[in-house]
Amino acid sequence: MRKLTLLALLLAALMLNACGSAPATSAPAEAPAEPVSLRVGWMGFPDTLNPAYAFLTESYTMFDLVYSTLMTESQDGSYVGLLAESRSVSEDGLTWTYKLRPNIQWHNGEALNAEQVAWNINAFIQNPDGWATNSGYVIGFTEARATDSNTLEIETEFPVSNMDYRVSFLYIVYPPDFEAFSTPEDLQNFTNFSPIGTGPFKMTVLDKDQRIILLDTNPNYFEGPAKIDQLVYQTFDNTDALVQALKVGDIDLSGEIPDSAFAAVSGFENVKAVSLPGRSLTELILNAAPEDHDPAPTRNPALQDPQVRLAIATALHKQDLVDVVLQGNGVSGVSIIPPTLGGGYWYNKNIQDVAFNLEEANRILEEAGYAKGTDGIREKDGIRLEMRLQYPSDQSNYPRAADMMANWLAEAGIKVTPEAVDPDSLVVATNPNADYDLVIWGWGSDPDPDFMLSVMTSEQYVEGGWSDSGYTNPAYDELYLAQQQMIDPAERQKAVWEMLEMVFNDRPYIVLWYGNILQAYRTDKFTNFLESPIGIDSFQSLLQVEAVP
Amino acid sequence: MTKQDYLLRKISLALFTILVVALVNFLLFRILPGDPVRAVIGRNVKISAEVQASLRQQFGLDKPVFPDQFLATMKQWASGNLGVSWSLRKPVSEILLSKLGNTLLLIGLGQVFSILLGILLGLLAGWKHKTGWDVAALTFSLVAWAMPTFWLGIILLAAGSAWLGLPTGGILSPQNVGKPLHTVLPDLAKHLVLPTLTLTILYLGEYMLIMRSSILEVLGEDYILTAKAKGLSQWQVLWRHGLKNAILPIVTMIALNLGFTVSGAIYIETVFSYDGLGKLFQTALTKQDYPLLQGAFLLLAVSVIFANLLADLLYTALDPRIKAN
Repeated sequence: MRKLTLLALLLAALMLNACGSAPATSAPAEAPAEPVSLRVGWMGFPDTLNPAYAFLTESYTMFDLVYSTLMTESQDGSYVGLLAESRSVSEDGLTWTYKLRPNIQWHNGEALNAEQVAWNINAFIQNPDGWATNSGYVIGFTEARATDSNTLEIETEFPVSNMDYRVSFLYIVYPPDFEAFSTPEDLQNFTNFSPIGTGPFKMTVLDKDQRIILLDTNPNYFEGPAKIDQLVYQTFDNTDALVQALKVGDIDLSGEIPDSAFAAVSGFENVKAVSLPGRSLTELILNAAPEDHDPAPTRNPALQDPQVRLAIATALHKQDLVDVVLQGNGVSGVSIIPPTLGGGYWYNKNIQDVAFNLEEANRILEEAGYAKGTDGIREKDGIRLEMRLQYPSDQSNYPRAADMMANWLAEAGIKVTPEAVDPDSLVVATNPNADYDLVIWGWGSDPDPDFMLSVMTSEQYVEGGWSDSGYTNPAYDELYLAQQQMIDPAERQKAVWEMLEMVFNDRPYIVLWYGNILQAYRTDKFTNFLESPIGIDSFQSLLQVEAVP
Repeated sequence: MTKQDYLLRKISLALFTILVVALVNFLLFRILPGDPVRAVIGRNVKISAEVQASLRQQFGLDKPVFPDQFLATMKQWASGNLGVSWSLRKPVSEILLSKLGNTLLLIGLGQVFSILLGILLGLLAGWKHKTGWDVAALTFSLVAWAMPTFWLGIILLAAGSAWLGLPTGGILSPQNVGKPLHTVLPDLAKHLVLPTLTLTILYLGEYMLIMRSSILEVLGEDYILTAKAKGLSQWQVLWRHGLKNAILPIVTMIALNLGFTVSGAIYIETVFSYDGLGKLFQTALTKQDYPLLQGAFLLLAVSVIFANLLADLLYTALDPRIKAN
């Protein structure tokens, strides 16, 4: 009996320890009676709220709510001023001037001034090792300065074509919070769980042990306060529980409904499921690494034959993949820039996709000299069309896609063997080892075309670079560098479209589909969400959402 | 061998095992394919190769595994420091401690209920051998033991949240976070019902089966016959002579299970979005966060080895035959 008492005491002590640990921030502020609280369920938790070292999308969701940027992407894909009321660029394209809105306040009541914004940008420029995540956005920036308390100038060493996009990722932090750190390590170890920003919501509680975040509406927000009083973020570790929480009303909004559950969620009472065109793409990578790559590529040599690549493209029924794998929640893919980027401005509508036609695929291969053997597999000069078809094991819908693709390709006389591979091993296999034939993988594209275009440059096919196909085309590389400095959007569009055609015709990638964003919310609790490619959970949407009366 | 010698030998063996495990862990994670810097930053779009190189340098990954990385890690451990997690950017010991409380609370409750119920049911089944009671308890235990954790959890979650209004996940409701413990106890209890129930059902079968076979064996012994012949009541026979002897295998099993407790019940934690050590182990592995992985596996190894040591020591205390030898 004494042992049991001891056990009970031990458990009680543990409970005290588990629950009594204070959250990372101060206790919640005094809330008004019955605040209107929107509860969001999500599958992650921000590991840091320090923009210097943030890699998870959850961190960026919080940055959007708590901080502000000079410009931001709007629902139609264009850029609009946020902290900046207006912006202009000098004739030589090297000096950008931002006029800040008057009367912007930090969450602590202090006024924001241009010196503080300049301090931020100069810190990113001068300490790229410390501000690791910001450093990529300020390449080519030389200096920022405040000419008066409301005017900011940024100097660049060359004209920057995507300046609006770049500054839309530079979250302006409260300088006193960040001034003290002397080494990159100290700066990055600062988790900043009580951020002071200028954004529409203020952090009141961030409990990393319970994984709950409470944010109050900022009544002094410069664009007018949100119509709800409070935002609550609760973490779920599996999608079934998340969907169940939405069904029983434990949460009001989920920004990540899995493909497989979407139909079921659409049928829930008082729940609206929305399928919005997004910015992600899924592609088939064909090993295009140069022959002189070190280490030498390990692949089926037939992949270097453009006719074989064309035949593979002809044998893939992309619409079928969308209908079966995504259950209709997406569109078939063509080029590496999804149709939503810049509201469709960067999508090359002139590219005609190869039509699915198995007879044509067989004819192309026959003409190219690949004859069918007795086992139905084609062969030319001793090279059999037998290939590996690998995909990362953490993606739930790739196995189905791989099986469907294997069946079509078999009918064209190409034998592929689907295989799930650990994603870390697959990174190494594609770059730098070049040891693969075909890989299914995807990207979440940036709002600007620059990143997706960079993935195809030969400069990125180095260890730590982003190229996985190994595509090498000097004309493409040259255009890539040129488009970075084209301030005239029409001129840049022409260059981008030309690059998209090169990739489409050379086929290091066959883009399979663009997946939709699947989200859902409780219609009995909230209304007036903004349905657009930036999602119903974007800060713009949360600013206008209202409780159902 | 004196008792002190025996103890000393057991403890030094345990320490030696921990040392070996720590060394194996150091090597094991470095054999994994992939690049930890890439794993930590994910497919993040704006980290240049130069910044990645600077992070690699910060983590000490630019130096050879032997001797540099190895010596640096050993030096750190020798000073009692487990390092700083690369992905969470906090001291490893702090992270482990914060999750340990959650895990011990959940698994502790589950273990206590399953041990008590398991012993009781096992005792009942053994005592009422070959009756309806026995068959029912045996069937229930076998089914419970064989049920997939994830499946049982999801079924209980769906039923409990829809019919009983129990929470779908987490440890506390958002509005109660940060409040004093005594005011949120009912909410905490509500959150613990489903995961504890799942754990209890899953562990119960194992304890019940061992207890049943153990009591059956004991009840066939001569001294039980003697006790009955002395005119003791059935209850006295069972309690004083049966249970005390039959409990030994259960004690071993409890001690061993407690060792594995700190590894968390990863499936249960995942189903009920319960933020414990199991979930942490998984995150550390996917992020290839060497300091966190090493720390977590060291904690796991130490707990298992000490639980084994505890089982050995308990056995010496409980079983007079071992004491005599």
